[in-house]
Amino acid sequence: MAALLEVSGLTMRFGGVTALSGVDLAVGEGELVGLIGPNGAGKSTLFDCLTRRCAPQEGRVLLAGEDLARLPAHRVAGRGVARTFQNTALFPGLSVRENVMAGAHRHGRAGFWGAALGLAAGEERRLRETADALLARFGLGEYADHPPEALPYGTTKLVEIARALAAGPRLLLLDEPAGGLAPAEVPAFAGLIRRLHAELRLTIVVVEHHLDFVLSLCRRIVCLERGHKIADGPADAVRRDPAVVAACLGVTR
Amino acid sequence: MTGVRGAALTGHRRPAVGLAAGDRRRTWPWRRAALAMTVVAAAGLPFVLPPYRLFQVTLVLVYAVALLGLDLVVGHSGQISLGHGAFFGVGAYVAAVMIGRLGLPYPVTLPAAALVTYGLGWAAGLPALRLRGLYLAVVTFSVAVVLPPLLKRFPEVTGGAMGMPVATPRGAGLDDDQWIYFLVLATAAVAVAGIRNLTRSRGGRALTAIRQHPAAAEVLGMQAASHLTRAFAWSAMYAGVAGALHTWTTGFVAPDTFTLSLSITLLAGAVIGGLATPAGPLLGALVVTAVPAAARELNPAAPGLVSGLLIVAVVYAAPTGLAGLLRRAAAAVAARLPAGRRA
Repeated sequence: MAALLEVSGLTMRFGGVTALSGVDLAVGEGELVGLIGPNGAGKSTLFDCLTRRCAPQEGRVLLAGEDLARLPAHRVAGRGVARTFQNTALFPGLSVRENVMAGAHRHGRAGFWGAALGLAAGEERRLRETADALLARFGLGEYADHPPEALPYGTTKLVEIARALAAGPRLLLLDEPAGGLAPAEVPAFAGLIRRLHAELRLTIVVVEHHLDFVLSLCRRIVCLERGHKIADGPADAVRRDPAVVAACLGVTR
Repeated sequence: MTGVRGAALTGHRRPAVGLAAGDRRRTWPWRRAALAMTVVAAAGLPFVLPPYRLFQVTLVLVYAVALLGLDLVVGHSGQISLGHGAFFGVGAYVAAVMIGRLGLPYPVTLPAAALVTYGLGWAAGLPALRLRGLYLAVVTFSVAVVLPPLLKRFPEVTGGAMGMPVATPRGAGLDDDQWIYFLVLATAAVAVAGIRNLTRSRGGRALTAIRQHPAAAEVLGMQAASHLTRAFAWSAMYAGVAGALHTWTTGFVAPDTFTLSLSITLLAGAVIGGLATPAGPLLGALVVTAVPAAARELNPAAPGLVSGLLIVAVVYAAPTGLAGLLRRAAAAVAARLPAGRRA
């Protein structure tokens, strides 16, 4: 399996706090990797480095061989990286459909002049169709015209994934997608992600606190603790790793 | 795959529908009828109103065009511009100099004013919007402060501190004030259509996204500085167009019309009218026209103070402005209608 994402020696410090310390990680094309660890382990910071939200002091992030540090943050989406945020980051001023259309921003070309003169109608229709198809896939078609605040939390999580998919990513980063879901919803949600992974041939990294969810979803698990990678391997092995048990299971159970 | 049903997945709380969910199409029951009535009223107005009232209505439309532009920066982009009155003044002077000094026909002054202010908007916005927020406020503030003395500095061109009279447009078959009203109305209609198209497009979504969640917007590939600079240039262009219309309407320009206090009044109008709402600019324009005139009767220095107090009052009591209050009133009326008539 060719490595789509190659992280080497990544170190990220915020003032005196070292959020990541020499982290290496390779994710192959089409892999579905779970990233676990206690609060403050550096999971979200790692995502921030992968999307250029943070500029790490040391180390490299290669996406399909290209150094992401050379790109401005808004170009990372164009290289096929999409993510969701820990506490959902939908735009409350836009309807559910418009949120997903905003996800497809990089597939549009219309500028201010074209739009104001009414020349962007064709492109707009195309983006709208993309958005509606995605919403239908998630069973969210009936909410398309609603503002996101009108939806239950679990549904906004789905909308955010739909928005990330609208960008047409190769690498999808999900930051605690199951956080805040009712326990009964979790298995169906895991099934959804598994299907997306299989059908869209995506490479997915999932950060998750919900260990049952992530262990049932991912064959490979990476564990971070205080900025260090302490485990990386098959889910069954990582689950039994004493260091992981001490770091994660002891805390979150 | 058919996908997981959202409702099945999140069955513990059913989303509200219709009014309560904010489905905007249903809050105002007779949208088309209201639009048709507005068109009829707008076309009939100049034949009913006495000239002075018509002049005031024309001015409201002029300010509405300016506020449409300001709303793009303040409402849609969430930035503060204190220089809108200056761009308005530049547009007014471009029109005045072209008509009064160069003897050009008035129709060419509108695109010229638009072009000049669009360019100035780029020039002012480009450095400021890379830093945004307070920096933009300071840069635009200084633009507003610099303009009046600059205009007074070149009396051969601008007429100096005394200003200069300008011939107003004349149309066949109509009184001057009626003709100007229709010119301004047509320009305002085009301006509304342009902003409507713009804010509902990819660029408009990006502005909302950048204002509400800059991190998520960037991850989706939206470059904040480029979108904000474009929005600022567009806003300056709208101010310039409104300024040219102002010259057509009043037939006079003077430096002291376009001071910092005009910029602040316009900002107050945008906030009081309601930010990022379709009706906000028009309601704000009513405020911009009526409030300073009424306040001046109390005391010549009162308009700035009254505008400031009104901003505070609106932000405190009705953050969505007059447009928000009206929408809530319309929703309350619609909720009391028999269910069958609501759709």
